[in-house]
Amino acid sequence: MPKVTINGQQLDAPQGINLIQAAEMLGIEIPHYCYHPGLSIAGNCRMCLVELQGVPKLQIACNTRVAEGMVVHTESPRVKKAQAAVLEFLLLNHPIDCPVCDQAGECKLQDYYMDYDRQPSRFPLGKKNKKGKALDIGSGLMLDQERCILCARCTRFFDEVTRTSELAIFERGDHCVVDTYPGRKVNNPYALNVVDICPVGALTEKEFRFKMRVWYLHRTPSVCGACARGCSIDIDHHRGRIYRYKPRYNPNVNQWWMCDEGRHSFKLLQGENRLLKPRYQADGRLATEGWDTAIARAAERIRGCASQYGPNAIGALVSAQATNEEIFALKRFMARAVGSTVVGGVSWTPVGASPDDNFLIRGDKNPNTAGLKAMGLLENGLGWVAGLVRRGQIKVLILLRCDPVRILGESEFMAWFGALDHLIVLDCIATQTMAFANQVMPIAAYPELDGSFTNFEGWVQRLRPAFDPPGEARPALEVIGALERELLKVEWNYSAASVFAELAQAEPAFEGLTLEGLGAHGARIAMSRNGSGP
Amino acid sequence: MERILSRWVDIPNLRDIEVYEAHGGYRALRKALFEMTPEEIIEEIKASNLRGRGGAAFPTGVKWSFIPRNSEKPVYVVCNADESEPGTFANRYQLENDPHGVIEGVLICCRAVNAHTAYIYLRGEFALQKRRLDEALAQARARGYIGRNIMGSNFDVEVYTHRGAGAYICGEETALLESLEGKRGYPRNRPPFPATYGAFGCPTVVNNVETLSNVPHIIARGAQWYRSIGPEKSPGPKLFCLSGHVNRPGLYELPMGFPLKDMIYREDLGGGILGGKKLKAVIPGGSSFPVFTAEEALKVNMDFESVRAAGSLMGTGGVIVMHEDTCMVDALRTIARFYHHESCGQCTPCREGCSWIEKLMIDLEEGRGTMEDLDRLIDIASNMEGNTICVLADSLAMPVKSFVPKFRDEFEEHVRLKRCPFKFSAKFVSFTSSERPSSHAVDGLSSS
Amino acid sequence: MKDSTPAPQFSEATLEEFKQTLSRYPTRRAALLPTLWLAMREFGWISPAVEEYVARLLDLPTSHVHAVVTFYEMFHRKPVGKWHLAVCTNLPCRLRGADEIVAAIKNRLGIDNHETTPDGMFSLETVECLASCATAPMLQLNQDAYIENLTVESVLKLIEELARRAD
Repeated sequence: MPKVTINGQQLDAPQGINLIQAAEMLGIEIPHYCYHPGLSIAGNCRMCLVELQGVPKLQIACNTRVAEGMVVHTESPRVKKAQAAVLEFLLLNHPIDCPVCDQAGECKLQDYYMDYDRQPSRFPLGKKNKKGKALDIGSGLMLDQERCILCARCTRFFDEVTRTSELAIFERGDHCVVDTYPGRKVNNPYALNVVDICPVGALTEKEFRFKMRVWYLHRTPSVCGACARGCSIDIDHHRGRIYRYKPRYNPNVNQWWMCDEGRHSFKLLQGENRLLKPRYQADGRLATEGWDTAIARAAERIRGCASQYGPNAIGALVSAQATNEEIFALKRFMARAVGSTVVGGVSWTPVGASPDDNFLIRGDKNPNTAGLKAMGLLENGLGWVAGLVRRGQIKVLILLRCDPVRILGESEFMAWFGALDHLIVLDCIATQTMAFANQVMPIAAYPELDGSFTNFEGWVQRLRPAFDPPGEARPALEVIGALERELLKVEWNYSAASVFAELAQAEPAFEGLTLEGLGAHGARIAMSRNGSGP
Repeated sequence: MERILSRWVDIPNLRDIEVYEAHGGYRALRKALFEMTPEEIIEEIKASNLRGRGGAAFPTGVKWSFIPRNSEKPVYVVCNADESEPGTFANRYQLENDPHGVIEGVLICCRAVNAHTAYIYLRGEFALQKRRLDEALAQARARGYIGRNIMGSNFDVEVYTHRGAGAYICGEETALLESLEGKRGYPRNRPPFPATYGAFGCPTVVNNVETLSNVPHIIARGAQWYRSIGPEKSPGPKLFCLSGHVNRPGLYELPMGFPLKDMIYREDLGGGILGGKKLKAVIPGGSSFPVFTAEEALKVNMDFESVRAAGSLMGTGGVIVMHEDTCMVDALRTIARFYHHESCGQCTPCREGCSWIEKLMIDLEEGRGTMEDLDRLIDIASNMEGNTICVLADSLAMPVKSFVPKFRDEFEEHVRLKRCPFKFSAKFVSFTSSERPSSHAVDGLSSS
Repeated sequence: MKDSTPAPQFSEATLEEFKQTLSRYPTRRAALLPTLWLAMREFGWISPAVEEYVARLLDLPTSHVHAVVTFYEMFHRKPVGKWHLAVCTNLPCRLRGADEIVAAIKNRLGIDNHETTPDGMFSLETVECLASCATAPMLQLNQDAYIENLTVESVLKLIEELARRAD
């Protein structure tokens, strides 16, 4: 551990880190544009120049590794002058069109100008180099070459991370432009990552453009639910509406990146198909009702069924879209409050979904298949439960985030499940199965939840609620809790943390974990070869 | 003085291998292969105190000694023949007239650092020079100096020419390596240095043509002999490139430390200023370096230390002479245009600064400049200097920071008059054929 | 000069040279500049189709080929005249009258910098220092021969000779 001194503060720095990282550990910001920890060192922006004691020239912090006895100054007059100079150079040919720029508010040119420059321009606007603006370069990317500072983050991303090289820098000197090969467009499932890493407004997302000023957005750390990878994300939202997902750094799962499909997956979770009120089947249509009646109705049917046919005549199916806590709570509810052992898991991916690739995307479009399996549930419990229903052994069925009609088709569904007395659907969005349900209970979608998913490699990651669920929708844990209370007349703690704590005790794979302890980067469970818990 | 580096002037057809051999050619290579260990070769070069002729003046033997012994990766030798510094043309004539002298230097270097592959990177415009080198390489191969088991020494070595395509920056050694690898000529961040991570990620020596062509002479005649030429700290012969407003522009081989005044005025050298005009300014080392006023120029001796002490750098030894009719604003504008045109575009201060300086210089020359612009030029130059990956930014900053203060009156006059005062006089001379002074670069070189 | 057809193809002999070139380098990519020079010789200029062809030959992304082509000055990105005149206008040449040489050429040919005469005979390009400062002013013909110690008279005579040679 080399000892370095930065601005008089001492640090035992981990071997091999650079001065930007070392300074960060001391809470000192060294401004930079081109440096990105996930990319090779370019050293071109020259914003991170620092003074090293005993070295005559200023050095770039990004390309300087910590060394024993190194003494660094990041705020000396020479450094400040160089930083102000770099900013002046960068702004020289910059159009300063912040009022119409989507990057405004999260632009490193704006930020650093306020922090490190604050001088009036010495260069007339009319003399700026003219380059391409608002170029639609494909994959939802908009390119503004005048705003570009040629830091080469985007080109390095496509060269080094996806190895597809769709963008490159053409021409030379101040004529340099980032662009696609003439006549071609970017067509890359990870393209929008370059919007995240572009430090200025040169690359923006077509879909997000002009939708929302970023300073109105609130940020909640969570996990993407679009596939079994479960990329760590930040949910950017405003007044109960998600505006975008941004990848959140997680060395265990997705590093700095996420796929575009996942990035846009939140759109399915908001809009007209969200379920807002509890409903029950009355005269061939789904009528709304209050939660109390809905819970009482469900409990009564369960109780009635149990006394008539025995507890195993009540079954449940839970999909791998549910959180670890939801799966566990349902399983325990069935055992403790109903006395049934019929709980099936369903991990289903529609035909035609994007397959596994060698980067992040997983062909399994469920965020929690591994969690389902680790808790001993079948991946394909649908067939088992369907058989029980067809043989008349199951009369009441509870579906949690599960849509068998979509999987089987209507006639096949009817052939297997037609004999049910009572079907209860718990979901956040309208499903095809809903049409056959006796009761529909609206629950929160995962961005609204506290809880966790277990990804395909066994990383258990924390979800946090960005905002309250819409309408009268409630977290599934609350609904299950209410049903249990109704049936057993006992009050249980149905907070995610407490359910997780019980899960960790009951399910060997999760032994020793706590929800709080998952932290920002998750914790890993042991995965046996056959996929179920050890 | 005996001509060493330019002995082709005295020896017709030296580029023919038979002539080259008849004048001692490839004997130094034989000595290096059979009478010396690689370590001894490096020690000899170190002892000669040969310093790089490409501009940076780094001790060549020391550079070679940085190459790891017993490297697991292959070692490469790269000869920098990208000669592009304005005012410089020595390599070109060496390649045309004495290609074997360069090749022999390359081969000895390969032996010293245990490299089995060498590339000679020529600027794209050197079509003739590449042909001459390729012919010489074929001859050398036919004689067993290149290929497997050269001269029966068990040492294998291949030498290839590689042609650039028009980019000044590729003369910078790491940009050259990028270009050799088939990329844009972007200078690399250091560390790592080429000695450990050079061509194709392997240990690499990059030496200039003139530097390497000194090597066979040092090996053949010894470091002692070499150090007897010129001053202690920068010994050896030097090819000076004299251009601009002198009567006899040309390539002159002179000992290091030669007085600049004599180079310009002596009858057998520059022959004085064109048209008997007054000397105004001299750039001593190629256009990247600070300009001297006439008074400064006439006092300086041409070696690395003396020129540095006088406030400039000897660079490549490209001496550009300007007489009293030269508009210094226009001269600096021309220099600024060059660096703006050649900036690779990587580093912010260089990419933006070179362009800004050229814009200000155009304004000044065309009568739109202001007094503030003069201070601004210095300010921009200071902000560029030392803050970039390579020294191209400094190469414009240095002329700016010398031209503006040293010829401030002339710059201010442009501002006051709102035009170039030289507009109606012969700013830059041109000749009809009858008046044209003879040139001495190709035929009949002079030496002292 | 050959026009670049949509599917350019090296001749057998050039393909042989290309293969030899590959053998000189430890990476395929290093052969990019030499291959582009072969393409310049074969096709006269580097059209988009040629870029794609070279990219295929070397297994490189086309964007990388284009990035390299646009970085270097000598790869023509549009067809040039039969006689390409590259006149140095850097300081040492300007000190010795390069401006007048350029003016004379423009005047004689009726074209500006980076233009080609309508008959496709001559192109003019002003370039930076070509290492010919003691024989200034000078020009490079077709990226090869140096024509040095130019005067207005000699450059006009050169143009006449070249125009005749084309017949």
